[in-house]
Amino acid sequence: MFELKNVIPFPLIEKRGVEKSNIWNKQLLFDNGERIKITAPSGTGKTTLIHQLYGLRKDFNGSIFFDGIEIKQLSSHQIAIQRQNLVGIVFQDLRLFNQLTARENIELKRVLQTPYYDSSKIEEMAQLLGIDHILDQPASSCSYGEQQRICIIRALIQPFKWLLMDEPFSHLDNKNKQLAIELISNECNKRNAGFILTDLDDDLYFTYSRILYL
Amino acid sequence: MSELNKLLNKLIRDNAGKAKLFTAMVGLTIAILLLLISVQLQLNFNELLNSKNNKDSIANFLIINKEITDASLGNTQLDDSIINQIKGQSFVESVGLLSPSRFKASIESNSSQFPFYTDISFETVPSAFIDLQETNWTWNEQSPYVPIIIPTLFLDFYNFQFSLSQNLPQITPAIVKMVLFKVTVYGKNGSRSFNGKIVGFSDRIASMLVPPEFMNWGNNLFAADTKNQVSRFIIKTKDPSNPNLTKFLKQHQLTTDTDKTRFSKYRKVVDTVVKLIGVAGFILFIFSIFIFTLFIQITIANCKEEISLLIVLGISPNQLRKFLMGRFFPIYCWLVLIATIIVMILQYLLHINLAKQLVMISPFIDPITLGSALMVILVIWWANKSTIQKAVYPKNAH
Repeated sequence: MFELKNVIPFPLIEKRGVEKSNIWNKQLLFDNGERIKITAPSGTGKTTLIHQLYGLRKDFNGSIFFDGIEIKQLSSHQIAIQRQNLVGIVFQDLRLFNQLTARENIELKRVLQTPYYDSSKIEEMAQLLGIDHILDQPASSCSYGEQQRICIIRALIQPFKWLLMDEPFSHLDNKNKQLAIELISNECNKRNAGFILTDLDDDLYFTYSRILYL
Repeated sequence: MSELNKLLNKLIRDNAGKAKLFTAMVGLTIAILLLLISVQLQLNFNELLNSKNNKDSIANFLIINKEITDASLGNTQLDDSIINQIKGQSFVESVGLLSPSRFKASIESNSSQFPFYTDISFETVPSAFIDLQETNWTWNEQSPYVPIIIPTLFLDFYNFQFSLSQNLPQITPAIVKMVLFKVTVYGKNGSRSFNGKIVGFSDRIASMLVPPEFMNWGNNLFAADTKNQVSRFIIKTKDPSNPNLTKFLKQHQLTTDTDKTRFSKYRKVVDTVVKLIGVAGFILFIFSIFIFTLFIQITIANCKEEISLLIVLGISPNQLRKFLMGRFFPIYCWLVLIATIIVMILQYLLHINLAKQLVMISPFIDPITLGSALMVILVIWWANKSTIQKAVYPKNAH
């Protein structure tokens, strides 16, 4: 579970209106298996929050605990183990290796730890999301929407207790969005995993246990 | 290769240039080669000095006396302090004093067919220093003859010079040992004559040697003075070429058979050359390690984005280090192996070459040289590991 204690990023400390946030400078507990939606307009720190939860950023006041351990205190090794087995992520800026094919990008995350799925699962998920035909193309030659789906599969191919998603459907049409939502929902159910999803607007993609405003 | 490593190989490529890498590899091989050669040469040298095969070829006994100069004329006796000092030196195994006769003596032929007469003097030395196993090396007034050991040189001088110039027959050592002659000792208490007999020939001590009992008897009865002065002594040493020995002798104005210590000059040269090779190898080795460290750093710097994304995606420090070590370390191991094999071949060739000159060294390289090669690998491993650690996780970045 995630526990946030008075977390506020350095750049927002002096900013007006922060006190209205459901998250910044508050005490929060995200229980395992919860499906949490965080809604906020641009520039309010959605990506910052996701990166803080993922252990990428340390420039904030307050503390974030994951399963009782403060994330800031984790060693390189501990944080790697956490990213391999406990926390999956879909970045807003995708972060794919352009020189690798779509399949290789996903495969890398599959074999980084003891594989959760067989490699045939890549094909299966790609088929479900309609990108099986581009699996052997370099990621750089795929459209943004295709890349976004590659990222979703990359996050789902690994074991996790929590899935962090930062505007994961921003470049998907409604039909593809729906396919992705179904796949994510199924994969979370399989693992009894929770997720934290950020987006600009309210939506009904999933049945959320909580909706918070930044 | 694991699936992960295949993918990492695609992401992390060497961009430093093959030609530069090859040059650096040649440099490192030469450095390791020089290091190992210097170790092996030093070991070969020690083997030559200490092994049983070669021990006899290098003199182990040296007779030492003061240098005769204008200043030391008439004052060649050695005082106890010098003798004690040399006893304390690490290169000396034992010291024996040579006692000279302080009485007059002569020898003359008993045979009219082969007449000779000469004044003579004797020396005596502790029997441990005599290179002959002479069981009758003792004397008392009832003995049938005085046993005498003469230098082999004397017989050679007679056989190859004197007999030829005087038209006399050459004689064998066996014949010489059969001849009885008259030894006359005289001094303040008159004179006494005995039979004398050559019982052996010494290569080690260029002096007419008699048993200590005869010497003491003669000195007590006939010596003009009672002072028992020592002018020469003999030392047993493991290594007459030891430069410290030569240095000690020089410092105390002592001298010895330079033929035996001359080797020390060569040894000094060899020592210096071997040390220079070692130092050159060491410096080259440090530079090579430095260059290879740069290669690792360049590779990591060139793939900085890929590595940081890998870390973001959750690659562990161990996985990354293992992969990078796997990329570079085997190259080093091959280079060390190549250098070791070259040293093995050189050692074998040296063995064959020296064997022709009856100098025996092992055809195989010493375990210490192999140990040094392992040490080199360990040093490289450590340097690699810390370079990778520093380059990948400069500030414990996640």
